Amino acid sequence: MARKRVLIIEDDQWFLSLIKKTLERKKFVVATANNTIEGMAAINKKVPDVIILDFFMPGPNALVLLHELQSYGDTAKVPVVLCTNNASDIPKDSIHSYGVVSILDKTTMHPDDVAAAVRKVL
Amino acid sequence: MEGSRQQTNRLEGAVPTAPSFVAAAHELKSPLALVRQLALHLESGEVNGDELQEIAHRITLTSERALRLTTDVTKSSRLEDSLFSLEPLNPIVLCQEVVDEMKPLYAAHGRTIVLTSRTRSLLALANRDLLRRILLNFADNALHYSGEGPVTITASLRDGGSCIRLGVRDYGPALPSTMRKNVGQKSANVHSRPESSGLGVYIARQFADAMHATIGTTSHRDGATFYVDIGTSSQLRLL
Repeated sequence: MARKRVLIIEDDQWFLSLIKKTLERKKFVVATANNTIEGMAAINKKVPDVIILDFFMPGPNALVLLHELQSYGDTAKVPVVLCTNNASDIPKDSIHSYGVVSILDKTTMHPDDVAAAVRKVL
Repeated sequence: MEGSRQQTNRLEGAVPTAPSFVAAAHELKSPLALVRQLALHLESGEVNGDELQEIAHRITLTSERALRLTTDVTKSSRLEDSLFSLEPLNPIVLCQEVVDEMKPLYAAHGRTIVLTSRTRSLLALANRDLLRRILLNFADNALHYSGEGPVTITASLRDGGSCIRLGVRDYGPALPSTMRKNVGQKSANVHSRPESSGLGVYIARQFADAMHATIGTTSHRDGATFYVDIGTSSQLRLL
């Protein structure tokens, strides 16, 4: 069975490397981007099976990317896991219509929660 | 010079909408969450010797960043009760100290910070601690909210030599045009970056006010400069 591809879009390099290592240990193929623009380029290159997405980043925030994903048939169905310090401020009811399937709170989550959230949506 | 591409503004309206303690909590969330994740990674026992050293170093640097913020917040809350003496100081030496202090954090992120000076050897009239904290604040802001390019601290003379501008230039995304429009309005809610609470700029402005200096920002197509303008001292160069 082909290994699933995960794209992490996260501006904090150190947090990104932690998530990347965790997912790679769980045998996922991981691509990374440091902001929304780079994320869009990575998706254009190869549509991932799941996207791990920070909310606030330099330049356009996550909502811009979520809108963009919903605009195209091949990306509208890609599940997105939001991973943010501001999970409690995200309106959970409305965000699901943007393809967000799960929200992880960076302030309370365990590193393995990322892999669990990815497995859950595949 | 980029001329029309640039827009220079004084950050007179840099007032967070939320009370500063809420903004401080918001700003502290990020480093604290990272320290926790790094510590959990250590606890997992899945790290080798080299990685262990690297994670420990990152915990140290991230903790120091959080501590700088808490120190700035407590200091800014006591500004009105304190008198901050102004002294003639060599701004280039101070800028170099800031560069040296931030270098380990920049290096750990694979980034560089350098000093370039276009001033003759003049003295600034400022409070050393407050000016240092403003520059550290700008440098920290540039590291965490800009792109991957180098960050440069610049020193240049203004207004015929009566003022020295110390700026921190980064090469991150340009400030949004909507923000640029608001920057000149005194009542505008000007944040350092759209994803930031603006607390850093708010504190920097308070520190600048306390020593009769001014902070501002110049937006470039490929980044921004956050600067502080301070008066020059008429004393002979002693430092």
